[in-house]
Amino acid sequence: MSVILEVENLCKFYPSFRLEGVSFTLRAGTITGFVGRNGAGKSTTLYALLSLVQPDAGNILYRGENIRGREAVFKQRVGFVSAGVSFYAKQKLHRITDVVKTFYGEWNDTLYRRYMQAFALDGNQVFEKLSNGMKIKFALALALSHNAELLILDEPTGGLDPVSREELAEILLDLAGQGKAVLFSTHIISDLDRIADRILYIKNGRILADDTLQGFTDAYRLVQYQTLTEPQRKKIIGELRLKDGYSALIKAADAADFGMPSVCAGAEDIMVHIEKERA
Amino acid sequence: MIGKLLKKELRLCMHPMLPASLLLSALLLAPNYPYAIMYFYLTLGIFFTGLTRRENHDVLFTCMLPVKKEQIVTAQILFAVIAELLQMLIALPLFVLHRHLISVPNAAGMEANIVLLAEGFLIYGVFHLVYFVGLFRDTDKVGVNFLKAGAVVFLLIFAELACTYAVPFARDILDTPDPQYLGVKLLFALICLGLYCVFTIVSVKLAQKRFGNTDIR
Repeated sequence: MSVILEVENLCKFYPSFRLEGVSFTLRAGTITGFVGRNGAGKSTTLYALLSLVQPDAGNILYRGENIRGREAVFKQRVGFVSAGVSFYAKQKLHRITDVVKTFYGEWNDTLYRRYMQAFALDGNQVFEKLSNGMKIKFALALALSHNAELLILDEPTGGLDPVSREELAEILLDLAGQGKAVLFSTHIISDLDRIADRILYIKNGRILADDTLQGFTDAYRLVQYQTLTEPQRKKIIGELRLKDGYSALIKAADAADFGMPSVCAGAEDIMVHIEKERA
Repeated sequence: MIGKLLKKELRLCMHPMLPASLLLSALLLAPNYPYAIMYFYLTLGIFFTGLTRRENHDVLFTCMLPVKKEQIVTAQILFAVIAELLQMLIALPLFVLHRHLISVPNAAGMEANIVLLAEGFLIYGVFHLVYFVGLFRDTDKVGVNFLKAGAVVFLLIFAELACTYAVPFARDILDTPDPQYLGVKLLFALICLGLYCVFTIVSVKLAQKRFGNTDIR
């Protein structure tokens, strides 16, 4: 699978927050889940990709070429969907589309109409009257109709009901099947369980894990207990209080000689425990 | 690309106050009125359009389009310039009409003459410098920057009003019906037009520089 985007050592320093050494690669036909709790640096990273935030260091390579100075060309091939922000709330959808499409050289009206129909959207609807799910679908229709090969979604599932989240997951799987790369930022990891090829886990502005979903979950095991010995305590990562005891993560490599049964950990379990560990 | 951005300004951002303020050029047909106020009305239209942009997250939206940040600045200021020139265009026949309909001298400031027209350019040039250069440091601060720019516009209007009473050159030469002292007035108009161009170009450059260094969140 060809590499579409490479991010190398991206840094951004704010007085109260530092994004440090963020590096990752996005390949065609893959869905990458970009996870981390609120404020971890997900949006800052995504905004830096789109040149909305000026990085203090690092390179962003699109198809092997640095996008610095070529941002407008890069954005021709990127679709960005940001949930929670209402653009031109009082405008009808077709009016927004009429403006947006003029900016893209590869805009495809037929494709746009097909997506609008598939998403049950009517161009005469007013943006603010749409449900959250419909707003995201409209943003997706815009993003996909200019033949974007990289789709960046910033927390698109926030505020969506479970059925809409499932629909979105199916749409993203279809897109990955068409060879598009998807970068999906979320703090709801269960959204990614079924669809993500890779997981990028960011905490306090640093990438803690960059692995396949399977590799990420296989690296840890979950144990439940009421008491631990001191050697066992040294091996646990993050301890959560349960109704009848505690749970903690351990590294899969430590499971055999931990002296206690362990079970597979889901991606969400891993994130919750790691966040707890270092809070 | 600038043309596309201007289309976006017109179709998605323009507040109805902006075209409405263009029609207020008709105040030129009112006797004894401080005509320069019509320039303030247009800056109000520009301000309301700025508010519409902010409430609709226009800057974030536009930055996600395949455009350069400096083009966004150019388009916003150019949109204001087009509105200002349109106002001047609408005002021109009204100046002529004024001469034929109102024969009494204006007791509330400058006559409806070429100096008044030139004064508009000067006011708009200064407005660009204060409003847009301030705005592109933080595009959310529409109100604060308009407050500053609006205060400067009013100061200029009051200064004109005061000059037509207190400064002999303004009172006896500039504040006269056309075509009296046409040569001097044309020279004044040329200077104002030149300042408008310089102030606007400087505004674009400064605003581009500031906006280029601004993170959009």
